[in-house]
Amino acid sequence: MSFILPNFLGFGLLTLVPVVTLFYMSLTNWNVFGTSQWVGLDNFKRLVHDRSFHTAVTNTFYYSAMHIPLTLVVSLSLALLLNTKLRGVAFFRTAAFFPYITSIVAIAMVWNIMFSPDAGPINALLRFVGVDHPPGWLTSTHWAMPAVAIVSTWRDMGYYMILFLAGLQTVPRELYEAARIDGASAWQRFRNVTLPGLRPTTFFITVILTINSFKIFDLILVLTHGGPGQSTTVISQFIYTKGFTESQFGYASAASVVLFALCLLVTLVVFLINKRRDA
Amino acid sequence: MKRTIAAVAALAAASLALTACGGGSDSDSSSGSSGGPTTITVSGWSLSTTPEFQKLADAFSAKYPDYKVQVKEYDATNYNTLLTADLAAGKGPDVITQKEVKYLPTFVKGGQLADVSDLKAPDGIGGTDSYKVDGKTYALPYRMDSWVMFYNKDLFDKAGVTYPDGSWTWDDYVANLQKLKAGLPKGAYAAYLHNWQSTVQGLANAQSGADILKGDFSHLKEPYERTVGLQKDGLQVDFNTEKANQLTYQAEFGKQHAATMLMGSWYVATLISQQASGEADKFNWGFAPVPQMDSSTAGTSNTPVTFGDPTGFAVNAHADGAKKDAAEKFLQFASSEEAANMLAGIGITPALINDAVINTYFAVPGAPTDDLSKFAWATHKTLPENPTSDKTAAVQGILGDLHTAIMSGSKSPDDAIDEAEDRFKNEVG
Repeated sequence: MSFILPNFLGFGLLTLVPVVTLFYMSLTNWNVFGTSQWVGLDNFKRLVHDRSFHTAVTNTFYYSAMHIPLTLVVSLSLALLLNTKLRGVAFFRTAAFFPYITSIVAIAMVWNIMFSPDAGPINALLRFVGVDHPPGWLTSTHWAMPAVAIVSTWRDMGYYMILFLAGLQTVPRELYEAARIDGASAWQRFRNVTLPGLRPTTFFITVILTINSFKIFDLILVLTHGGPGQSTTVISQFIYTKGFTESQFGYASAASVVLFALCLLVTLVVFLINKRRDA
Repeated sequence: MKRTIAAVAALAAASLALTACGGGSDSDSSSGSSGGPTTITVSGWSLSTTPEFQKLADAFSAKYPDYKVQVKEYDATNYNTLLTADLAAGKGPDVITQKEVKYLPTFVKGGQLADVSDLKAPDGIGGTDSYKVDGKTYALPYRMDSWVMFYNKDLFDKAGVTYPDGSWTWDDYVANLQKLKAGLPKGAYAAYLHNWQSTVQGLANAQSGADILKGDFSHLKEPYERTVGLQKDGLQVDFNTEKANQLTYQAEFGKQHAATMLMGSWYVATLISQQASGEADKFNWGFAPVPQMDSSTAGTSNTPVTFGDPTGFAVNAHADGAKKDAAEKFLQFASSEEAANMLAGIGITPALINDAVINTYFAVPGAPTDDLSKFAWATHKTLPENPTSDKTAAVQGILGDLHTAIMSGSKSPDDAIDEAEDRFKNEVG
């Protein structure tokens, strides 16, 4: 006990206590200045009827539904590609990781210009290949969220690629050899050797990716600030606005509890699916 | 395991106790009456580019040698968050500067500000109403910028358009922008409108007299239709381009990319200093009253209506004894004519404007000298951008979404207004 105490103290003070306090705060009308009153489940009832919160939840799911599969596919493909013994693989692995270590503000600025509807290079390219009315991207309520998902996938792919690469090293070589001798095609080898061998990695990545998608915040704040209108307002931003702009910390805490519950629920579901497959 | 749980419970209890009792003011030894000067703290931000706090502090200490003022610097963008945290922890400054009016009700509700209704502000000072909550006054203004229309005289000459004469209504504004567009050289727009929601809504709220807290936003329809039209006709940079390229208003007007610009009077000091340093081009400029809804408030024989929020000082509710006295004296000093003159001398628009203050302000080298600029600076009915209420922040959030939806072209003004009114009923109502 005593040798983990210093570590535990830090965890307790900086993580555990705030988390426990959060649950308490979600049941009060606290507005920072210590005049909080116990309001029971009122905050949660208000959330149920708050249409902005509904929008935020829908947008969060919409974003996750695009971002999770897209990132999984892109990062796994990258990992497979860069798992070969081609020349310059080390360079490309590093290059793929660059977006992940780039400052988020810089990313937002550059992508903002790239997505510019009239003068941006993306739409210039689209017009060049014959798209007459390219989308308005970040300036359109329909296209802003897909644009955010694209940037976000571009940013995250390198990180998850590294995790997949690590996973690929654990798939036994003999299985590939055996499959090849049995005459399995490349697709069959991928389907029946690589994917099952990667399952623990895929499980881990899916969980992390889901939680990260649900709590997306920084990128949206600097890229669109939730706009145009409310088209990219997500749960984290709702929490931020209610808490820090409108000083309704009790209400913001209740929304945080809902976000926490959502993350927990999704993790459990993924966990159960994985367990059933293992059985 | 049991011990762990006990330890966690103890920690949790301790932290709750800490947050619950963090209300007292930090008591410093200097508050005693032991003969030495009493030191009070005043909150401020960006001290290197916002010299007013130190100037006021120094002038106050010079006038009252018994008091010393220490300016406590906060980060400008996170000012209210950081200040809130300090106040909640009982470590707040004795004089709390009110950077944005919309946060005042939260501070009042949280019992952080002392009632200063007994302090008398000088006659003719603007912005005092913004600091009233339930009939009591919680702060005194010292600075009050209001919105005017800046214009580039050189570009007007090039386009062969006569300078504004102070009589413009919004229709005249559009007509003149069209004339400008026809005559301006390539690369210069007739107008620049920054992407803030206040550029449209602040003026619309003030001039129509609408109360946004009632949840009726129909008065925004006409201003938005006009603004979207200006964009479509190429009279000003499109909102989306402005956002994508992160244009700054200082560069757009300072580098002569626009012949006119609606902006707050704080920009006067910025433009003077940027022209002096070479950051902005050298050109002749002036400013006029903002365009009016109709001719009843337009023209130099009337009082034009514009908007602007005051910046003011409040006294920490936990300050007592000598500190409270000192803080109250500081508030009165900062709103006095003496302070107003000093502020005008460094290019700041004080809340109190009279002839002496006008002369000081326009004597600054680089300031415009024409009569219309003086008229625009000194004569106006300035209404607050937003009413002071604990609902303001939420309504502003809704109207902010309305602004981006309309200006980006994603929604028509009608649809966006309907949606905002629905949200008001649902979320604020």
